[in-house]
Amino acid sequence: MSTINFAAREINFKIVYYGPGMSGKTTNLKWVFGQIPETRRGDMVSLATEDERTLFFDFLPVDLGEVKGFKTRFHLYTVPGQVFYNASRKLILRGVDGIVFVADSAPNRLRANAESFRNLRENLAEYGLTMDEVPIVLQANKRDLPDALPVEMVQMVIDPDKKYSMFEAVAATGIGVFETLKAVSRLVLSRVATAG
Amino acid sequence: MIEPAIALYGSTFQSVMKTLDELLRESGARYVMLLDRKGFVLAHKEALWAPRPPALDSLATLIAGNAAATQALAKMLGEQRFQEIVHQGEQNGLYIEEIGEVALLTILFDNTAPLGRVKLMAKKASETLEQLTREAIVAPNRMGIDTEYRDGANALLDELFGS
Repeated sequence: MSTINFAAREINFKIVYYGPGMSGKTTNLKWVFGQIPETRRGDMVSLATEDERTLFFDFLPVDLGEVKGFKTRFHLYTVPGQVFYNASRKLILRGVDGIVFVADSAPNRLRANAESFRNLRENLAEYGLTMDEVPIVLQANKRDLPDALPVEMVQMVIDPDKKYSMFEAVAATGIGVFETLKAVSRLVLSRVATAG
Repeated sequence: MIEPAIALYGSTFQSVMKTLDELLRESGARYVMLLDRKGFVLAHKEALWAPRPPALDSLATLIAGNAAATQALAKMLGEQRFQEIVHQGEQNGLYIEEIGEVALLTILFDNTAPLGRVKLMAKKASETLEQLTREAIVAPNRMGIDTEYRDGANALLDELFGS
């Protein structure tokens, strides 16, 4: 849940990028870090292995600006995608306000997408949350792969009922990165506004 | 949207700041910080003589991650929890104390402040802080964020990320 600091007049939201290993979660954050002005973001923290695989999480604070006298800030996190890091993944979900699920468009990652999405459902359940209680958007990344699967097929295995918005992306060149982040941020804001 | 949030303001916030101030003075530490379990800073104090602290956001995030991992380890080893977390380097140290279920107290100190004193003062402050943070817990549906706020924030999203 979001944190309001009345003393510092800040409202903070936590957005987590989830998805299978190597799907491009960190690449999304790196693009955001590189593109938005320095005055609107903090340092990016990456806890990664030597070969740049996320070990615990990446973190990037983004300042949206001031709304009704409150500084509004989004804290972006990624989880480690590799299957055996589940204990770490679960910890990052604590207090989440919104989720971007980054799916890989490569044909040989179809199963990994499905397994990661199921794992997300299980880990949310550990916090007493269902998928319906947390704003979620989907991103089909790596659309530039020559053998990229049709986006409908990528969505079919993770979200057959098409409950969530799906964005096509090439995170390495920034295509779709801001659109995805904006969409999840809007959902998060709508959710807290209606809760009030 | 189920987890409770902490909203510190008014006299509760003033009491928290007073407690942190006393802790800073009595322990001889450089910085003290109260954060929630998700890694958001709730309140912090710096000693006048201390050098500028590192980015608080990053610090708080890493401390919350560290504390969460430590408690997960404790549970795996059959412990209810590990009571405290201490890191000591050649020049600086970090001490973390749990404040109830929702917050963490963090003290950064250098080698002029003995660890024993830091721990003692932290434990003393933690009792007061636990009571104060308990009073500051609000249900998610009472956060007071309205549609006017949402519309303002949405306009800023367009400005930052393009419409």
